[in-house]
Amino acid sequence: MIKVRAILSRLAPLFACIGLLGIWQVASLILNTDSFPSALDAIRAIPSILGDKEALINILASLRRMAVGFSIAVAVSIPLGLLMGRSRGVASFFNPLLMVIYPVPKAALMPIIMLWLGVGDIAKTLVIFLGVSLPVIYHGFQGAKAVEEKMLWSGAAMGLSAAQRMVRIVLPAALPEILTGCRTGLVLALITMVTSEMIARQSGAGNILFNALDMGQYDTVFAMIIIIGAMGIGLDAAFENMRERLVRWSEPRFDLPLSFS
Amino acid sequence: MNARAVTSDVLLGIVPIALVIALWQAIAAFGYAPASLLPAPGLVFTRLARQLVTSEFQYEIGVTLFRLFAGFSIAVVLGVGIGLAAAVNPAVNSVVRPIVRVLAPLPKVALYPALLLLLGFDHASKITLVAADALFPILLATYYGASMVEQKLIWSAMAAGTPRRQILFKVVLPAAVPSILTGCRIGLVISCIVVFLAEMITSTDGLGHLLVTAARTFQAVDMFVPLITISLLGLILNGLLEGLRTYLLRGFPEV
Repeated sequence: MIKVRAILSRLAPLFACIGLLGIWQVASLILNTDSFPSALDAIRAIPSILGDKEALINILASLRRMAVGFSIAVAVSIPLGLLMGRSRGVASFFNPLLMVIYPVPKAALMPIIMLWLGVGDIAKTLVIFLGVSLPVIYHGFQGAKAVEEKMLWSGAAMGLSAAQRMVRIVLPAALPEILTGCRTGLVLALITMVTSEMIARQSGAGNILFNALDMGQYDTVFAMIIIIGAMGIGLDAAFENMRERLVRWSEPRFDLPLSFS
Repeated sequence: MNARAVTSDVLLGIVPIALVIALWQAIAAFGYAPASLLPAPGLVFTRLARQLVTSEFQYEIGVTLFRLFAGFSIAVVLGVGIGLAAAVNPAVNSVVRPIVRVLAPLPKVALYPALLLLLGFDHASKITLVAADALFPILLATYYGASMVEQKLIWSAMAAGTPRRQILFKVVLPAAVPSILTGCRIGLVISCIVVFLAEMITSTDGLGHLLVTAARTFQAVDMFVPLITISLLGLILNGLLEGLRTYLLRGFPEV
């Protein structure tokens, strides 16, 4: 009985997907307009997009930019966040600047960055980098601030240098919080990726989506929405899986994302 | 924390912002970047000050603010409602949980074309997008806040004779307020960002539209003005929410 329940709760998101697609199907049948194809029509259009070599290259290029921007952002933000959490001076140095940058729509910087760097990969990767860094810095900061002082004192008493304490005590202790930030960052990376490509219509998944909208290919529009949505859900689930394995020792957490800033 | 430490913190915090503006000024002044790419900060802020008093610019700000608040309010009502219901009622919980798991990581901007086709190019599609994006942080924060309410509080209220249906509003909701406000803060920043993006994609008015028109005509100064305006709006709204928070939470221990 317990096993059945466990399997059921594992499959629940799948049921939710099917349910949402079902609602879509019914709604489209009721509304019955050209601009709102049914879920089945949209799903039928997916193979033709994924089968098209150019579209596939476009989507893969999007994912590559996202991966690069995300990795650089994580590599820079984690050390910065940890330093901010452990040193009051560093925190008060960076906090106001970050607070000012926070409400700026990162993808809206795209037109300006395009003026400087052109429409190529660098501009788009930079925008993704900017979008991902803030939540990761913020969560790293919170995580490092909450580290128990006693552990640091014990480390110091056993002769660890400041840098060693950072890597061997603060980093692992803040890891659950950092990974929560990374998860938020991952979703944000996808969002900034789509928007940046929509503003610089040149290549990528966002470009296919909005070009199809402009040309009135409604099946393709909705099929691309499914593809991008599936990317989001898939990446999130994969990351969650990895997170669970990395921080199994930490207190049991909720299986829902804590913040989507 | 004594007053002197706070002042030195503030001074330290102004340094990087001043550095950024100084660097910006230096690049523009020494001609490393032509004015068409990076106008001097003085130029941008003068233009901003001049624009702020014109009625056209105020109209654009008004349109953006209207969409922002409409979307944000819907998100707050739905988020707090669904979040509370899911925390209190196991049946609602088992339905809401998987749906949220699927919808929360979905990049909502990708839904925008669908909303355009369904709701038209006017306010409705933009407000829906803002609401959809701001909903999940608020919903999740409410849910966590409400499900972490100490059982003892509920028992005490019941022992004191509070009817079951009133416990939700007299105990659970107030106890969840700090968490809800944190969610609202995140949702508000997201609303600012999303309303701007939606206006950039398709719109005939609003701050995002101003940026796009400036970008099409390569007016670098006019590109910076709406961006700075939306950030200022975000900061002001954030400050207001912070004020509301200290007012609402005046009785709470250390928050």
